[in-house]
Amino acid sequence: MAIDAEKIEQPKSPEKVRDVPADWKANIIAFACHYCAFAAADLAGVMRLSYPSNVKVVRLPCTGKLDQIYLLRAFERGVDGVFAAG
Amino acid sequence: MIIGEQKPFEEIWEMVKGHKQLTVFGCNTCVAVCHQGGNKEAEIMASLLRMRATQEGLEIDIKNGGIERQCEHPFFESAKALLDQSEAVLSLACGIGVQFVAEKYMNTPVYPALNTTFLGDVKQDGFFTEKCQACGDCVLGVTGGVCPVSRCCKRLFNGPCGGSSNGKCEISKDIDCAWQLVVDRLQALGKMDDYEKLVPIKDWSKDRAGGPRSFKLEDF
Repeated sequence: MAIDAEKIEQPKSPEKVRDVPADWKANIIAFACHYCAFAAADLAGVMRLSYPSNVKVVRLPCTGKLDQIYLLRAFERGVDGVFAAG
Repeated sequence: MIIGEQKPFEEIWEMVKGHKQLTVFGCNTCVAVCHQGGNKEAEIMASLLRMRATQEGLEIDIKNGGIERQCEHPFFESAKALLDQSEAVLSLACGIGVQFVAEKYMNTPVYPALNTTFLGDVKQDGFFTEKCQACGDCVLGVTGGVCPVSRCCKRLFNGPCGGSSNGKCEISKDIDCAWQLVVDRLQALGKMDDYEKLVPIKDWSKDRAGGPRSFKLEDF
């Protein structure tokens, strides 16, 4: 239907494609549930397992607390990717 | 309640991109229930617009805010400071709210972020259906509580047309035949006698045909 076709927005970015520097690392924020994923990360720490320093973990009481605006605020502040674990 | 649907993002961006300051303003009643224009959606829209402005290299100061209803004066008190300082407002209210803001702030451009679509109910979470056209002369009392004005595609008042098939309308298999629903309901109520009553020609002057309507309580 014509009306539906009008609603479809073609994904387009006004940003120019640039070369990725060799030493670039994605800035990742991880939203982790207190009761499972965060506990697992904590256990990994106890076991002296390491994870990349470009991943920052934010503890949530539950991933159900995750809201669209948290993700958008993270992207606005320069995060490259979001990892939700719960 | 009033159902609205957000306009395509590109359309909104084209309207507002020329301003240096913009307030994205939510309305937290009807359009918040349909997840299109509440204060939460205003915050999300403001974020999307800020990111778009950054991508395009434009410096636009985009704030967000909102009130419970954009169609009543008292609710605006809490947002007075925000709106007074706004160069332009992107209202996420229905068409009523957008016009109300525009009337209140004569020198501030106000843009609609939503298309106001219909008066409807919340059939289930995230699913809304049209139930009323505010025709100004309700007939629900004789039609078993099913509105032939808003739910019959032809607005018929005295039984179905020939396009009614297996309880569905010929317009679409997803649309119930309103008159099938009327008959089902009258049968359930044991009031099939009402079906035989001829509804006289409707007075459409109480609908939009009489121009914009108003209602004033004399004791106020």
